[in-house]
Amino acid sequence: MSSSPVDRSHWLTIFALTLLFVSYNIANAGINHLDIEDNEFAEFEDFDVEDVVAGVASEQKNVVHEREDPPSQEPDREIETADEDEATVEIEDNEFEHVDEDEYEGYEKDSATKPDLKLNEGPKITFAQLPAHLRSNWESYYLELMILAGLVLYFFNFFLGRSKNQRIAETWYSAFKGPLLEKFALVGDDGKLENSQPGLMKESENVYLLWCSGRTGCEAVLFELRLLKRQDLVAMVMNLFRPQQDQVHVKVFMNDSDMDSFVMCLAAKKTATRLIREMADISVYCPEKKSAVDKFGLPTNFVLMSEIGEASTTLLDARVCSLINNIPEVIESIHFSDQYSGPKQTEDTAPSKMPEVKKMLIFNFNLPLKNGKSIVEAVEIIRPAIMLTFYCIDRVKRFRLSKEFKAKAEKNRQKVEEAFLKSTHAARAEAAAARREEKRRQEKEKILQDDDPEKQRKWEEKENKRLAKKRMPKMKAIKV
Amino acid sequence: MFGINNSSDSRRSDRIHRYKASAFNQNQNGEDLTPDYMNVLGMVFSMCGLMMRLKWCAWAALYCSCISFASSKINDDTKQILSSFMLSISAVVMSYLQNPTPMVLPWSSV
Repeated sequence: MSSSPVDRSHWLTIFALTLLFVSYNIANAGINHLDIEDNEFAEFEDFDVEDVVAGVASEQKNVVHEREDPPSQEPDREIETADEDEATVEIEDNEFEHVDEDEYEGYEKDSATKPDLKLNEGPKITFAQLPAHLRSNWESYYLELMILAGLVLYFFNFFLGRSKNQRIAETWYSAFKGPLLEKFALVGDDGKLENSQPGLMKESENVYLLWCSGRTGCEAVLFELRLLKRQDLVAMVMNLFRPQQDQVHVKVFMNDSDMDSFVMCLAAKKTATRLIREMADISVYCPEKKSAVDKFGLPTNFVLMSEIGEASTTLLDARVCSLINNIPEVIESIHFSDQYSGPKQTEDTAPSKMPEVKKMLIFNFNLPLKNGKSIVEAVEIIRPAIMLTFYCIDRVKRFRLSKEFKAKAEKNRQKVEEAFLKSTHAARAEAAAARREEKRRQEKEKILQDDDPEKQRKWEEKENKRLAKKRMPKMKAIKV
Repeated sequence: MFGINNSSDSRRSDRIHRYKASAFNQNQNGEDLTPDYMNVLGMVFSMCGLMMRLKWCAWAALYCSCISFASSKINDDTKQILSSFMLSISAVVMSYLQNPTPMVLPWSSV
């Protein structure tokens, strides 16, 4: 039985709600107990009452003290004697030793004249039962039980989601293993010295990698299966609000000689905005979004960003366009770049040298597992898209820019480099000055640590001379 | 060896590049930072649970370590996950040893 992730999350949500309901009922059922048992002072009030009764029977003085004191003393005593019953009794016995009985003469008289009042005042003290033993009131722990049930649910979902992701990855691999073996000399590499387990590499429970190499045109191709985080219940709940899709990213590392210089990207609108914002090469070379509808006859939600018009018109030929038209929901983005350097550097880690670039083709495909499609069906839908990557590799390998556009591309790259050098010039000069200063400081420290005054004097002279020399040319320049 | 140099065959066994993790292999959108965030959050909750005796904090820490565990990478350090689990579990155990009364949520009026 293959249920879509949405179905399963529904079931889990329903289960969680049922759990909530049941625990609420339990909590309500136990509410009578709770009224009494939540009163944390109950235990100690009980002792007070006992004492009062005892006091009436034997010694009235003691009783008076007892009644005088408890309201102020009670909280302290409770903290001290949280659980130990015997200790409570002991403390009560010793507690009033220090009290001077004479101070309470007036009270004694009062209480002697109205002995009934003691009992009538009783209601001030709430009479309560001792809390029942822990085992008898599990209902009051309903929150804890809910949390534990949530944990069990989480782990249940973890194993379920993990196995589903594993199944998707295996199905995908078995579907493409044959075609890939025909195109690559090496399929599946774990990077270890002896490739012990050729095949999919598991990076995490929802990311699988497949490294293929040994082919004309490109150094290697990395297939990344970025599946939904089915193993994480929280992520799945988030996914209900912000739906995402299983994706297959194909990264082609081109040979340096097998790709001309151009940057272009065809992407769905939303993705395009994100790519322009995040990717260094697109934001620098082609931040302009152009509609791809009229020129290429592609679906309306695709936009094209291209540095050199010639490259995009040649590479997005009729065959590629018709394939995109057939499965527009699968294609998320197609990004060709000879200046790929990954996401933009953040402001605070401004680099002092140009970022390393690589010639790459990057394809993002969606694996359309939703709408009740089985894994095998989804993999079959994505098959032409995977085959498209090989077609594109060959096309890019053969494609060369015309002279005019080649010159334009070169100019663009030079301009970017100049702008970069300019922007970092101040920073680089500052860094160099700081280095020099640091070196001088260290030297000075070394000299000062030396006990030889002659040496110190000499160094100072030298330093003064150097500073004077530094100033000299300036003076000359002013004079001239 | 037959077919390797065939014109229709694009395979080249002499041009094999071995896999190595590099900056270009990484995910475009940056790494998935959930495990790191959850680790830190779990630590904070554990500390709150232990120091301030807040039971719900201790439980939240346990959940954080679960999420961190579920979304961690295969070749990540297991010690970190283990220690975060130990810390959160100890927070729960300690808070119930100190005060075995049922949990009271901070927003429920008592």
